[in-house]
Amino acid sequence: MSGHHVSSAKFLWGIAIALFFLTFITVAVTWITIPEPWNVVVAVAIAAVKALIVVLFFMNLWWDEKFNTLLFIMGVVFFLLLIGITLLDTLYRVDPVPSF
Amino acid sequence: MATTDQNKTKKVQVRRFKPEENPEKHYLNQEKGLWAWLTTVDHKKIGLMYLASIAFFFFIGGVLALLLRTELLTPAQTFIDADVYNQVFTLHGAIMIFFFLVPSVPAALGNFILPLQLGCKDVAFPRINLASFYIYVIGAIFTFISITTGAVDTGWTFYTPYSATTGTSVLMMTLGIFILGFSSILTGVNFITTIHKLRAPGLTWNKLPLNMWALYATSIIQVLATPVLAITVLLLAMERLLGIGIFDPNLGGDPVLYQHFFWFYSHPAVYIMIVPGFGIISEVISTFSRKIIFGYWAIALSSLAIAFIGFLVWGHHMFTAGQSSLANMVFSFLTFLVGIPTGIKIFNWLATMYKGSIDMKTPMLYAMIFLFLFTIGGFTGIMLGALAVDIHLHDTYYVVAHFHYVMMGGMVMAFLAGLHYWWPKMFGKMYNEFWAKVTAVVLFIGFNMTFLPQFVMGSQGMPRRYFNYIDQFQGFHQFSTIGSYIIGVAFLMMFAYMMHSLFKGKKAPANPWGSRALEWQVSSPAPLHNFDHTPVIIHGPYDYHQPMSEFQLGIATSHNGHHAGEPVTVEKSVTDKV
Amino acid sequence: MAQTSAELEERLDHLQHHFVDSDQQFDSSKMGMWVFLVTEILTFGGLFAAYIVYRSWYPELYLEASTELNAFWGTVNTAVLIGSSLTVAMAIRSAQLNQIKGLIINLWITIGLAVTFMVIKYFEYAEKFEKGILPGRYYSYDGLEHEKANIFFSIYYMMTGLHGLHVIIGIGLMLWLVKKAKQKVFHSGYYTPVEITGLFWHLVDVIWIFLFPLLYLID
Repeated sequence: MSGHHVSSAKFLWGIAIALFFLTFITVAVTWITIPEPWNVVVAVAIAAVKALIVVLFFMNLWWDEKFNTLLFIMGVVFFLLLIGITLLDTLYRVDPVPSF
Repeated sequence: MATTDQNKTKKVQVRRFKPEENPEKHYLNQEKGLWAWLTTVDHKKIGLMYLASIAFFFFIGGVLALLLRTELLTPAQTFIDADVYNQVFTLHGAIMIFFFLVPSVPAALGNFILPLQLGCKDVAFPRINLASFYIYVIGAIFTFISITTGAVDTGWTFYTPYSATTGTSVLMMTLGIFILGFSSILTGVNFITTIHKLRAPGLTWNKLPLNMWALYATSIIQVLATPVLAITVLLLAMERLLGIGIFDPNLGGDPVLYQHFFWFYSHPAVYIMIVPGFGIISEVISTFSRKIIFGYWAIALSSLAIAFIGFLVWGHHMFTAGQSSLANMVFSFLTFLVGIPTGIKIFNWLATMYKGSIDMKTPMLYAMIFLFLFTIGGFTGIMLGALAVDIHLHDTYYVVAHFHYVMMGGMVMAFLAGLHYWWPKMFGKMYNEFWAKVTAVVLFIGFNMTFLPQFVMGSQGMPRRYFNYIDQFQGFHQFSTIGSYIIGVAFLMMFAYMMHSLFKGKKAPANPWGSRALEWQVSSPAPLHNFDHTPVIIHGPYDYHQPMSEFQLGIATSHNGHHAGEPVTVEKSVTDKV
Repeated sequence: MAQTSAELEERLDHLQHHFVDSDQQFDSSKMGMWVFLVTEILTFGGLFAAYIVYRSWYPELYLEASTELNAFWGTVNTAVLIGSSLTVAMAIRSAQLNQIKGLIINLWITIGLAVTFMVIKYFEYAEKFEKGILPGRYYSYDGLEHEKANIFFSIYYMMTGLHGLHVIIGIGLMLWLVKKAKQKVFHSGYYTPVEITGLFWHLVDVIWIFLFPLLYLID
């Protein structure tokens, strides 16, 4: 059955070590100076990779039903819609009354 | 039987299970007593408890509306002062939306009908279903605390900064709505899982009743949008409690951001209200036209399309709120797109009726009223979505009229269609057809008298939420108020014949409308566990060209494992035996 | 695995009447949990959206104010949560293999790590409260120049506060699991509550994985 994947202990430890390593990398990149927009991009990209590892291998989406993956993707996509469309407003506002 | 892929289908032996007429045991007379009701995990009883609750709130909201209309009889103060007026319209909006419209079809009718249409014994998580009802009750208690400790005068939208500073009891009200959100989410979780996992053998996605598709789309919106409402009202509560300043300009925040968050829920929320109505209309129109639905997939997928597009258009509530003109243009354009799937539905329903043998029973009458009123509501919505026009019409009675045409003319009429349609299945009694039809006509007249003048007033500049007005509008307002009294009378009539039906009504046959849908293939009222057999579906729910006997099949042997809607092959020889 | 698997196959006391078999029940519960997790993502999504909007408006505010957060303890807490994710995954594995003792031990370790997380969080909060970095209108710290510094900390407190609330709920759920496990409720044929609590716990971890660099590591 799709839902009953049993991971080996070795595998789970491997995943955890990968996550510890990526945490170290996130902290390490703050020791070098990266120019303004890119430091956020790097930080979020590493976080996304970590999150993806957790979701796929700790939460077993890799072996699970496809629909559960779809649900997860939907959650992320609708979050991006919320923020993306809101930014269309907040980034392009012109002050209707100067210095308001 | 058409079987395209032999490897995937499973052979089962079936026989016919004719529904019992006038059953001795059914869900209403087993497990009696108040305690059994309050602790029941039966989806049908939970549905009825919801139905009673929303009827109660509809009554309160309706009385508040009549108070408003009475106040508006004269241009100056008639009998309540301006502050009370503000509180009354806020409560009317908040109660009607959060306590009636949102739970009405999914939680009340949907709970009752969903497992019956899927051919399963209950929803996937019956205890969570009961919990969702009690969470609704707790949310209601918070709202009543709010009403008794100073009420709310912000309008149902709770816009900042006013809601962050007003002296009224906004905190309790927002907490009530926060709690209510969980009830809505849990219903959504339950429905999505049930539709995926508990369909009867043979009930594949392309045989799913359109009502199920509509509830499926609704549940998806509930699950995706409600959490954002929850966090928004939580932030608003914190704004009042701690002054966190994210929305309050006095503390450096941005009030328009609140509107973004609020409408990210509340615009999809109007589709939470209307999409299940679409589902009911599909069922009713097909049943009373005795004809296969026209454009099954177009209707099914347009529900999902509306659910999706509904998430992209929230900013059309904010055209005059000071958002960027780029956002205004994008939102205006996207708003027009909603008209496409909605139009697809209307055309498909009309095409279904074309050359059908139409039986104008009460549910069908309400469906006709729905088509008429909802189309007006939809078209005026397109006008409001146009940027330049909206600048003129924003915050006028035109918006009020549009909203009521969509919500009351659309959603409430669809709800009434569904209520009359499934009434025999719920209580095993028929209502008086004549009085039901008279009431529908009275309601139709009253509704149009109330809200048509508001279009005119609004386009001439009468702003909404105002307690007084200039003399030129008095004629319209009085006409509208008289109309609202007629609506009140219609609902009293409805209450009377419904009560008469409950206590003295004729016994209902199992399938009074001759429908092919699965919920009509069990006795009325439904058995305690819905089906005493495992139903097997071989035809779509609207296949009126197939004989009734082929819609009443069930697995011949008592119990063998079947998974959600897996395709089955039926052994014909057994089918014919009966 | 002292017990024979045949003996365990027989246990169906967990099966509810409206399901056909254990697998259907298990898959339904899991799907229901995933739908719920979507709502969690969007709840936190609202806060992340507020964060992003304010960051796009006042990038310098975030640079300045994040220096008040202690990156070292943030890193420690990240490690603690990742460790607890590992132990919860091991707990599920134990349940799948019928090792009830291992299940209970792993749950206790997870609870211990979760409590550690909250204790560190408590000291972080206490240190800020002392300085006058309180949420909202109670903010009275004058070590930061930026006039909107209060908003950064409002967002910080809302995000970490809501996350902390989830950690506490998770602790409660796992204590309940320990109790049930001791009553021998779980076995390889039925470990649904362990599985879905695990999903919940991993999501709490995922949220923190984003909170950590976005709040602590801006500079």
